[in-house]
Amino acid sequence: MAPNGGAMKQKTDVLQGTLALMVLKTLDVLGPLHGYGIARRIEQISGDLLAVNQGTLYPVLLKLEQEGAIASEWGASENTRRARFYRLTREGRKQLQVETKDWEQTAAIIARFFEAKAEDLS
Amino acid sequence: MRSLRRFFSRLANLAPRRSQDERLREEIEAHIALQTEENLRAGLSPVEARRQALLKFGGVEAMKQDYRAARGLLFIENLLGDLRNAGRSICRMPGLAAVIIVSLAIGIGVNTTIFSWIQMILLQPLPGVSGASNFLLVEPSSETGGYPGASWLEYRALQTQVPALRDIVAVQMVPFNVGETGQTERTFGQLVSGNYFSALGLKPTIGRFIRPEEAERPGTEPVVVVSYEYWQTRLGAAPEAVGRKVRVNERDLIVIGVAPREFHGTMFPLKFELWAPATMAPALLGGTRDLDDRSIRAFSLIGMLKPGATREEAQAEFSTAMAQLAREYPDASAGIGGEILPFWTAPRGPQRLLISGLAILQGVMLLLLLAVCGNTANLMLARGSTRQREMAVRVALGATRWRIVSLVLSENMLLALLGAGLGAAIAVWGTTALRVAPIIGAFPIQFQSSVDGLTLAFALLLGAACGLIFSAAPAIYLARLDPQDGLRSSSNTPPRSRARKVLMGLEVGLAMVVLIEAALFLQSFRSARQTDPRFRPEGVLLAAYDLSGRNPDEASEREFAARLLERLRSMPDVEAAAIATNVPLDLHGIPVRPFTVHGRVRSEPGQDRAIFNTVTPGYFRVMAIPLLEGTDFAEMRDTAAPAQAIVNEEFVRRYLNGADAIGRQIQTRAKSFEIIGVARNSVYDAFGEPAQPAVYFSYRDIPAMQGEIHLRTRGAAETGLTSEARAVLRDLDPMLALYDVRTFSQHIERNLYLRRIPARMFAVLGPLLLGLAAIGIYAVVSYAVARRTKEIGVRLAFGATSGRVALQIIRENLAAITWGGTIGWILALAVSIRAISKGPVSLPVFIGVPAILLCVATLACWIPARRASRIDPMAALRHE
Repeated sequence: MAPNGGAMKQKTDVLQGTLALMVLKTLDVLGPLHGYGIARRIEQISGDLLAVNQGTLYPVLLKLEQEGAIASEWGASENTRRARFYRLTREGRKQLQVETKDWEQTAAIIARFFEAKAEDLS
Repeated sequence: MRSLRRFFSRLANLAPRRSQDERLREEIEAHIALQTEENLRAGLSPVEARRQALLKFGGVEAMKQDYRAARGLLFIENLLGDLRNAGRSICRMPGLAAVIIVSLAIGIGVNTTIFSWIQMILLQPLPGVSGASNFLLVEPSSETGGYPGASWLEYRALQTQVPALRDIVAVQMVPFNVGETGQTERTFGQLVSGNYFSALGLKPTIGRFIRPEEAERPGTEPVVVVSYEYWQTRLGAAPEAVGRKVRVNERDLIVIGVAPREFHGTMFPLKFELWAPATMAPALLGGTRDLDDRSIRAFSLIGMLKPGATREEAQAEFSTAMAQLAREYPDASAGIGGEILPFWTAPRGPQRLLISGLAILQGVMLLLLLAVCGNTANLMLARGSTRQREMAVRVALGATRWRIVSLVLSENMLLALLGAGLGAAIAVWGTTALRVAPIIGAFPIQFQSSVDGLTLAFALLLGAACGLIFSAAPAIYLARLDPQDGLRSSSNTPPRSRARKVLMGLEVGLAMVVLIEAALFLQSFRSARQTDPRFRPEGVLLAAYDLSGRNPDEASEREFAARLLERLRSMPDVEAAAIATNVPLDLHGIPVRPFTVHGRVRSEPGQDRAIFNTVTPGYFRVMAIPLLEGTDFAEMRDTAAPAQAIVNEEFVRRYLNGADAIGRQIQTRAKSFEIIGVARNSVYDAFGEPAQPAVYFSYRDIPAMQGEIHLRTRGAAETGLTSEARAVLRDLDPMLALYDVRTFSQHIERNLYLRRIPARMFAVLGPLLLGLAAIGIYAVVSYAVARRTKEIGVRLAFGATSGRVALQIIRENLAAITWGGTIGWILALAVSIRAISKGPVSLPVFIGVPAILLCVATLACWIPARRASRIDPMAALRHE
């Protein structure tokens, strides 16, 4: 067993959490999309987060589908290739709202924390 | 909520695994194709475009792993995989698996059968009555520790004085002669209080039960409830049976109802046919004073707790009530207290005998099962050692320890549960086979146990426990395996397996104990069949009669016996006839009672005791027991002679200093008897027993209501006499049934029946255990030898002969075996000296059994040792 298995797992969890939120937001903005499309979009916006490991997206998609946040069906892609299309469900929309709010709150707290100067803390 | 949803979705994903994999593959394909097109558009060459796309996608296999982990429940998926794997690996070792499964099945089956009996006694002591385990025995107890039963008036008083008990019912077991004059049949019934059926919560099959007011005033309500079986067999199962008359003990009783099918009365494990109101006692039992004499304690009481009340409360109230009764009626109740006991702790009666025997049996059988487990552990360890490479490869490829353990565990669990399944089947067969148990002695016994949910759960639990026990060692061993070592295999010296040797020694010790006890038991059983009982059972016909239904006085009992004997002796085929209260070699034993001999002072405290039997003149002639001194008893109608006794040789030796018996006086039951003769010793309780002192009294002096007729026939026509004997009794008294008619040989066979069960069990268990021990030793030795192939090769290469090598292996292992065996031998010796035989230690057994065990053990060592020593040294050294 890898000696740093615990730490690695944690990192994956954080990554998966962020990824999930990005997937939901992407589907919210762009409507139904196949895996490749989602990956492209995330890559465009986030830069290198998915530049190397696009494959890590699929376990996240599966997890979201199992939770009922997204649904999927087969369809034809822009060049008539068979692809699986994912779309946001009502529940997924709710989840996105809740998580966006959570995320903004967390981000705001962290931001304030970083802005704080030494005299503010004393 | 969300995680729950995910869980179900994952659970659902367990099954369609293939199509899911297919979906993922397609998605990946599509993804990479899209990326490749994109790259082509960006101007890359087709090969480079696809390469870049693949690179960007990342490690496909690792992702698939994650995907699978997210998709299904990895744990269950692994478990299913393990089970599949286990099934496959069991199929690869059919012989070994068969040995393990069958030996486990036997162990679990026997244990489950015994458990079903114990469970029946504890939880279902009253078949047909629900919640019977909540019933309590309400037992008056005397200062001397006896349980005399309750009188009817006492019962009536207790009914109101123990408010913690919802109901108290009173029952008395009585023999009934049922049928028309001249064709009576003897059966057993219960006289019950009016609340009996309602308190037990029973519903009649047809008709109704006894009403409380029908058990209020003596003798006014001639009603009877019959058992389902009686209704089926004697009353034609007709609904019109209700209202019919049945003649019972010369009284007409009206059948008012039929009991439920499963119900057989409340005196486990006896089976009753008829229930009449207790107030019919005087009418049915010849004017007995049961109902108004406080000193006649003929009833047993059963109580049911009120909801919310405890046994302690009931006990306190009962004690107070009994103390009150003792003050009010000192003549009948002084010194009588009372105890409230759970039903299964019955202090008296047949149930008591049964439960203690069963508990011992269960203990022994669990030990046997433990030996089976030990053995299986050894076998699995030996097998595990051959699999260390497989396991090392698994670990090297990234399997976790837990996966290895669960692999081994699932394999062993599967074996254990297969064994448990087969064991449950054996238990089902065993309980059904024993349900049709014969009638033992004069009492109808019912033995209705069946395999139900709880019993099955017990079997499964045993199986799981066995599985855990015998997987522990191999699982730990394989999980601790260092993959490096495992792959390098036998390149380094293996650790000595002390645990395995201890296990082997223990098993041999256990086998030694059981085998010796089994051999002793079989020896005593067999010699018992061959020893001379010192009387002549051949050509003797036995039959019983019982006058207790009519409450006779002593004079009429004596007169009845005298007239019966006269008639019997006048029959042409009868050589001699006699009546006795007890028959030797009876299952229930012959009473042993205290007495004093005039002019003898006991050196130690306590009382002199001897076997008591009351017989008529002519008894010694019928039994062919010679009188060594003195004469036979005076004739039955002789009123002049003093009270007489005849003693046996052992009595003279033990209590009369071996001489001058004639004329001495014996006091017992507040009466004095003169010794007029000395009879030769004979067997009383069991074949091969040490000589017991015995006193015979005369029916003339102590008449009894019951009697066992002994007829010695001319020639061998013993069975032909039955109908004639019946006719004689019918002429004498048309209402009396002759029951339990059998030849003396049949009587002996029947009473050996119970002893034959353990004898058979031992006969099967002994060889089984020997076989198990042999398998265990074989497994350990072949394991040890396999691990030392290289060492053996080196020694052979240096010139050791194969004989020497084999000898050394045998010697090493025999040391452990000898240790275990010796401990077992000493234990067996201690047990046999303390408990089993009072006679000398049986040398053939104590030397023979170890010799056989040693031979088998040596053989079990020799086979693998020889195989190892025969290997080619070069091959052994090249081995890895």
